Amino acid sequence: MTTLLSTEGLTMRFGGVTAVDGVTLSIDAGELRCLIGPNGAGKSTFFKCLTGQYKPSAGRIFWRGQDVTGRDSFALARLGIGIKTQVPSLFDGLTPMESVGLALRRLHGEAESRRRARRALDRLGIGALGERRIGLLAHGQRQLVELAMVVAPEPDLIILDEPTAGMSAEETNRAADLIRELNREHAIVVVEHDMHFIRAIARKVTVFHQGKVLMEDAAGRVFADPRVRDVYLGKAVA
Amino acid sequence: MDYAAVVALQILSGVATLVIVSLGLAVVFGMMRVINLAHGEFLMLGGYTAVLAYGRGVNLWIALLILPPIVVGLVGIVVERLLIRRLYGRMIDTMLATWGLSLALIGGVTMLFGNSVTGVSAPLGNFSVGQFHVSVYDIFLMFAAMALSMAVWAVLKFTPAGLLARGTMQNAEMASALGVAPDRVYAVTFAAGAALSGLAGGLIAPLSGVVPTMGTAFIAKAFITVITGGAAMLTGTLTASGLLGSVSTIFTFLTTPVFGEVALLIVAIVLLRLLPRGITGRFLRRSL
Amino acid sequence: MTPGARTGLEIGGAIIVAAVAAVYLPQLLELFALINATVWVSMAVLALSLGLVWGFGGILCFGQTAFFGLGGYTYAVASINFGDTTWAVPLALLLPTLLAAALGYLMFYGRISDVYMGVITLTTTLILFKFANSTAGDQWNIGEAPLGGFNGIPSTPPLNFPFAPDQQMVPEQIFVVAVICLAACYAIAKMVLRTRFGRVCVAIKENELRAELLGYDVRLHKLALFALSGLMAGLAGILFANCVFVSPTMFSLSYAGQVIIWVLVGGIGTLVGPVIGCVLVQWLTTYAGTLSWIDPNLLLGVVFMAAVLLVPKGLLPTASGLLAKLTGRGAA
Repeated sequence: MTTLLSTEGLTMRFGGVTAVDGVTLSIDAGELRCLIGPNGAGKSTFFKCLTGQYKPSAGRIFWRGQDVTGRDSFALARLGIGIKTQVPSLFDGLTPMESVGLALRRLHGEAESRRRARRALDRLGIGALGERRIGLLAHGQRQLVELAMVVAPEPDLIILDEPTAGMSAEETNRAADLIRELNREHAIVVVEHDMHFIRAIARKVTVFHQGKVLMEDAAGRVFADPRVRDVYLGKAVA
Repeated sequence: MDYAAVVALQILSGVATLVIVSLGLAVVFGMMRVINLAHGEFLMLGGYTAVLAYGRGVNLWIALLILPPIVVGLVGIVVERLLIRRLYGRMIDTMLATWGLSLALIGGVTMLFGNSVTGVSAPLGNFSVGQFHVSVYDIFLMFAAMALSMAVWAVLKFTPAGLLARGTMQNAEMASALGVAPDRVYAVTFAAGAALSGLAGGLIAPLSGVVPTMGTAFIAKAFITVITGGAAMLTGTLTASGLLGSVSTIFTFLTTPVFGEVALLIVAIVLLRLLPRGITGRFLRRSL
Repeated sequence: MTPGARTGLEIGGAIIVAAVAAVYLPQLLELFALINATVWVSMAVLALSLGLVWGFGGILCFGQTAFFGLGGYTYAVASINFGDTTWAVPLALLLPTLLAAALGYLMFYGRISDVYMGVITLTTTLILFKFANSTAGDQWNIGEAPLGGFNGIPSTPPLNFPFAPDQQMVPEQIFVVAVICLAACYAIAKMVLRTRFGRVCVAIKENELRAELLGYDVRLHKLALFALSGLMAGLAGILFANCVFVSPTMFSLSYAGQVIIWVLVGGIGTLVGPVIGCVLVQWLTTYAGTLSWIDPNLLLGVVFMAAVLLVPKGLLPTASGLLAKLTGRGAA
């Protein structure tokens, strides 16, 4: 199986604080991986390193074996990585059709972009909202529009940062279904701390704690592990 | 040797002037994120207050140091009430509105007092360093700059009002949750900033003379100093004034006053390129 | 109506207005008024250049006059030295474009945020202002052209027909050229905004991070848009130099501020707005200058404050919003 994305000793320091501390991990094609950990474990910083928003202090990032450390966000996105941020990051003054069209326009012509944009919106069940202004949409709809922008260009890997933040229980369930469905075609990394959601989707889980990888294993074993429970309950790790 | 002493004094006096003309703007920008483009005209009003009061027989020091901050502080209260308050959080609109205010003040003062330069001569006379003459008033301005900075620092650090101001600066919502109306804090801050600008106008009036358009000579420099200083309003303004003032004075000595100003501007650009959030965005972050 | 057809219609409208102005105004206006009108048109080009980069690129440039003045000065110096304006014009377009590109590189690749961008651009124009002011005297001649310090270059030659140095244009012809330039800038801006490049620029203004995450190089797009706007401002400077003459005022704080006012009064996020704002404010300034009972600055200042408080979005968006309400279509 091919490795898509991997890191080697990735480290990010802010002044005296080491938010990510020597993280080594790799994501294979077709995989669905969850990165979990309590608040402050370094997940989001790690995410921002992967997406080029932070330049790591040390360590390397590889894409299909090629060193891509320190590349800008746009260059990483061009490799075929779709990125969804925690707070929906959208073009509020544009319509979903225009936005998704723009996501595709880098790869396709005008007409083809429109066709594919339409299809992506339909696939996520928001085809009817295509010509509204995004700024006027409800929170859940905005999440879906962003997802459509991420998915439409058919990236090899999709990275989602806390996709269920601010969602109701019912919306969370639907998001879980959606992620499983997307996983048929794309490798997916989900950064999350909602344990219920992770239980619903996860196969392989990487647990972050204090900037390091605490353990990495199949979901069932991770949830059964006493160390993980301790971390979530706030006990110090022995 | 004498020459070196005079150059050093000139540098200090350049820095002091920059601190004096920037402080009012720094307080308003640092605390409220409001860029007051009428800052130069607040200086001008302070200058006119001083000159007019002196002309009517008021004691010189009262005319220079007491009346300008009171008068311009009152103007600040009115301006905050009628203009600034309606535009909070809209930085660009505030800039435009205060630019309009700046024009209106220039126009209004021109109608009232005409377009000619008036002034008071610098008090305190000169003293000699070797063959050079140094104005005592320049020395006085250095002490004034120091005293003003220390006063602002002390108010922020030690008074309940200063604590409140710092809190609002950090987090307006939190402050209002503690039962403090941010409106009040902003109003007082703006008035205080205006009073500082007025005082600055009084202080520089003997050097620059007063004319309705005198503010335009200062606004760009003050604006650039404050922004280059960065988030911490006092430390930022002081370090930026120190750096920019020195550079500009040194280049003035080496070439001409024009290139002194050009050097100041170029250094500001280079600094902002290297430190995109200003000096205190990178260094001395925890200072006031 | 498709967006493409709409753009075509708008450009067509602009061409018709320009053609009418170019044909009738030289007949209607006296010479002095016509030269004045040319000044306004050159200012309108400047307003348009800022309207483009600010309204559609989200780049707040306080020093658009740097490119304006540089264009004017380059034109004056080059045409005096060449004795022919044919090559002076492209040179006077090139230098402001390069300056904009260099500044843009400094700012966008340094990831400098908007307030600081404002300061840097403002500072640039002030540097040029101070420099130009200090160039009195013979040591400041470039070739045969004296820079002239505070007085500028009163001997700025008017445009001649291409490759015919002895066939200088008369003010009527220069007016026509200016109007054509304004219409062309408008059309170019409109068309650029229809391309993928233009739409990415608008998207960047909306949300820089998202555009970046979609794989677009934000810095490069901003740089290119900024350079284009610098080119248009340079063109405005050439036109201005043709009806007045170049002087340090072109770089001054008051001009720099006025450009921003024009765009804001007319409406950010439109292209016609800045042009309308420019003409209105110019007219108001001129009118205020004729009144003896009130100082023109006072009147202007009060009008600007009122404009910010009462029509914060600018005249054009406010007016079209009102129109939409009146015709019952709602604000779509």
